[in-house]
Amino acid sequence: MSRISQLSRTDWFGPLLATLLAILVVRGFSETFLSPYNIQILLLAIAVNALIAFSQMVIIAIGQMNLSVGAIGGLAAITFAGAMEVWGLPAPLAVMLALGVGAACGAMNGALIRITGISAFVITLATLSIFKGINLGLTEAQPFYGIPEGVKAFGNATILGIVPLIFVPTLLVSIALWYMLRRLPVGRFILAVGSNEHAAELSGISVTATVVIVHVLSGVIAAIAGILLVARLEIGQPSIGDDWLILSFAAPVIGGAVLAGGHVSVSATLLGVVIVAVITQALVLFSIDPFLVQVVLGAMILAAVGLNRLRAHQPVSGAG
Amino acid sequence: MSRTRFFLSNEFGLVLLIAVFAAIFGLAATGFLSPFNLFTLGRNAAVNIMIGLSMMSVIVTGGLNLAIGAMGVSAAMFAGWLIEGVGVPWPLALAGGLACGAGLGFINGATVVRSGLHSFIITLATMSIFFGVMIFLTRAESYRDLPAVFSDFGRMKFAGYVSPLLLVTLATALVLAWLYRRTVTGREMLAAGAQPGAAELSGIRVGRMVILCHMLSGVLAAMAALMLVARNGAAIPSMAGQLGQDWLLLAFLGPVLGGTLLQGGKVSVLGTVLGAFLVTMLQSGLLMLQIGAFWVQTFLGLMLLIAVLLDKARRAYLARRNLA
Amino acid sequence: MTNLKLGITLAGVVGLGSMAPAIAADDTRIALIPGGPHPYFAAWADAGADAARDFGLAGAEYEVPQKWELATQNQLAESLLSQGYNGFLIFPGDPVGAVSTAEELTGYDAQVIAGGGCYKDPSPAAFCLGTDTGNSAYLGTKELLAAMPDGEKRIAHFTGFLVDPNTQLRIDAVNRAAEEEGATVVQTIADIDAPEPAEEKINAYLAAHAEEVDGIITTAWVPAVVATKALAKMGGDRIHMVGIDHDEVVLEAIRDGSIDGTMLQNPYGQGYIGAYAIDKLRSGCVVKADAPFASNALTDRFIDSGTAYVDRDSVDGYLDAMRAETDRILADFDETYLDCS
Repeated sequence: MSRISQLSRTDWFGPLLATLLAILVVRGFSETFLSPYNIQILLLAIAVNALIAFSQMVIIAIGQMNLSVGAIGGLAAITFAGAMEVWGLPAPLAVMLALGVGAACGAMNGALIRITGISAFVITLATLSIFKGINLGLTEAQPFYGIPEGVKAFGNATILGIVPLIFVPTLLVSIALWYMLRRLPVGRFILAVGSNEHAAELSGISVTATVVIVHVLSGVIAAIAGILLVARLEIGQPSIGDDWLILSFAAPVIGGAVLAGGHVSVSATLLGVVIVAVITQALVLFSIDPFLVQVVLGAMILAAVGLNRLRAHQPVSGAG
Repeated sequence: MSRTRFFLSNEFGLVLLIAVFAAIFGLAATGFLSPFNLFTLGRNAAVNIMIGLSMMSVIVTGGLNLAIGAMGVSAAMFAGWLIEGVGVPWPLALAGGLACGAGLGFINGATVVRSGLHSFIITLATMSIFFGVMIFLTRAESYRDLPAVFSDFGRMKFAGYVSPLLLVTLATALVLAWLYRRTVTGREMLAAGAQPGAAELSGIRVGRMVILCHMLSGVLAAMAALMLVARNGAAIPSMAGQLGQDWLLLAFLGPVLGGTLLQGGKVSVLGTVLGAFLVTMLQSGLLMLQIGAFWVQTFLGLMLLIAVLLDKARRAYLARRNLA
Repeated sequence: MTNLKLGITLAGVVGLGSMAPAIAADDTRIALIPGGPHPYFAAWADAGADAARDFGLAGAEYEVPQKWELATQNQLAESLLSQGYNGFLIFPGDPVGAVSTAEELTGYDAQVIAGGGCYKDPSPAAFCLGTDTGNSAYLGTKELLAAMPDGEKRIAHFTGFLVDPNTQLRIDAVNRAAEEEGATVVQTIADIDAPEPAEEKINAYLAAHAEEVDGIITTAWVPAVVATKALAKMGGDRIHMVGIDHDEVVLEAIRDGSIDGTMLQNPYGQGYIGAYAIDKLRSGCVVKADAPFASNALTDRFIDSGTAYVDRDSVDGYLDAMRAETDRILADFDETYLDCS
């Protein structure tokens, strides 16, 4: 146990250096980079992207992967928007409903994986298709426009003119996750299952319960990301979540998460999100060819996994 | 193989499913058995099967390849550039496209072997890189002045409803089956996927086999993309969707329905062919029944789920009988 | 209802099987197929229903490919042909790649008209009924530059999918218009026809470069909406903007003056006129050899479905403007383009 916490203590150091370096370099070339409005835009991007990354990170912690993160987020988003437009539900109830959908999707993933013993990859590939299909079947790919003014105002509001209000839920989720992974028994169970499922089982941890809980958590976090996006975009867009997959893996991996499980860090993942956001914005700031943005993102993932491997304290097992 | 084993095999199950669904669609949707629909069904199946085979050839190693779509489209665009930009005759350009697929596969395979990381994360990154470079170099513009031979081939019909594309795919599948069953290379690929450590000890160069499997996957992806070029008469950067992601579900559906369970070391070419064909038929039939194009994806997802569950049950049943 | 459907389908299939050259015109069954799900085409559903009612068609249904992808569109079109549809108004998923499907459709005696966007010549489509996207972008840029105060004019251009060939036409047209007026295009941001990337990239750009931009031209639906909201969020009226299409957000912003205007297109007219023309072509009319078609970058058989600039003064009557445009084209459509002897 002490080794894990020791590792995670040193974990955020590298990403933090990289983040500071990236910020300094971009600031050096562009004076507008740290203007209040610019920071607000950065925080907006980080708020949602961090949740997407966390949603994947908790699954990575148990050594699995969840391809359906985006599909759950999209389904929750259109549930939220649709419940308000079609059924006229008040926003808080619609939020609860959307979170419930996220939790149910996650529970379905977790339960199926445990009951069948089939790899998370195959199960979440199937549920990705099912959730996205339900989304398309319900909306016929048309967005919901009837978002109440209150929700729109929430998406646009700022604290002191700089920090967007939608950053607050993300902050709360980050703190809760950090507390859970570091201080609560369930956090220990999760990391134990991730490092060695058999050993965890032998030491009396219920692997099934842990896996299902983690998937429910992942679903709920994805749902929050979907809801925040609806507030920010001011429409319930069915395509929400379509491009989350690469991002959801990029940030935890850049933050040093080991895909084999048992080792994740909330702060490092958050820093991974910040790095991606800063670099994405830098590409726009420096008017870099839009065609090259994809290449840079891919190269960043490769560079990060390469670096992680160099500074790995132990050889990664199970890679192949 | 005993008779009960055969009836419990995945392949037999798929044949049964195909027959059942063909009967249902044939009765419920009148246009389903029209020559034109059978023709388009075969042509779409040709591409889908090829995509499935491309994924299968990497699953053999116990890895996977998310970059299939990006590789295929890049290879097809390269062939298009050879024809339009360089003026190479089309047979050479086809060879160039396949070589490009093999080259991209080599990059994937070599990176996986050298880094020792899981192919999931490597191909996730290269998917983004390959597609991004392709879009950057082509400025996202299609190659549209290809020789008529491409679109003629795509529209050609044998006996009124057999597409030559389907014949190409079936021939490829036969070659693959022969490779895995009869050749040393094929068996070494399987051995390297089943137990890398043991294979290494018995003198198989595992790294080399992994690279070879990725190259094979690249060639097959390039073939799938070139068949789409023939079908459309143009090389289009968007033909596999953003980052080539639209091929992913299809690519996994074939092998997984065919009983290749992502563990490596095992392969069923026939199963993959039948699985991909079943998927194509379901797509076509659901469209014909006017169930609503928007629900097709849900059905495919459910299908995948049910198939892996059935497969699980079948294996459990076989295991019990062997014990008894 | 099911029986009726079955009967029609059966009739269609029999028609297919025997390849009868002419089926009675009242059997016209039209599919209006966009390139993928997109709010722009939503008007086609109403247009199809109205046309079916007004012209007595057996059906004119709006069928959406579930993804913005050529292969999906092709499969849908193939399937609809097998189901007995015999008229197709299609937004080609790719101007060249979609031609081979169109040839198959016409090979089975279906009528094909390109709507919203064009096939590249040569194609079997009777003609192309759409917005001249290059021209619309050109005119929009001119309107934007006219609305801006004299002096240095630096404009940013936000547009749609890079894989859409229209995108390149738009980029070229905006650059050309700017060059003619002595203005500079300081930035072109493309590939943002989905809300999330649009939101991220446009906001990031404006956050950093708002000082260096005097005007914004948008030439795709989603970027127009996102840029409108971004301007409203920033406040001030230094930056001028001309949008595209008729999203409620854009129209509202024109009314309250936070953007200058928008370039309207006429999707309803495309669907309505397209369905009408398909029915005519199926009942024995042919396209006149000397019809006064316009030309654009893709085809020499182009009919402009109308494009109009609306600003604060004309924004409330925009629907009437489009209806009027539709009626105007339809009024002398037969004499101008068809030979029905």
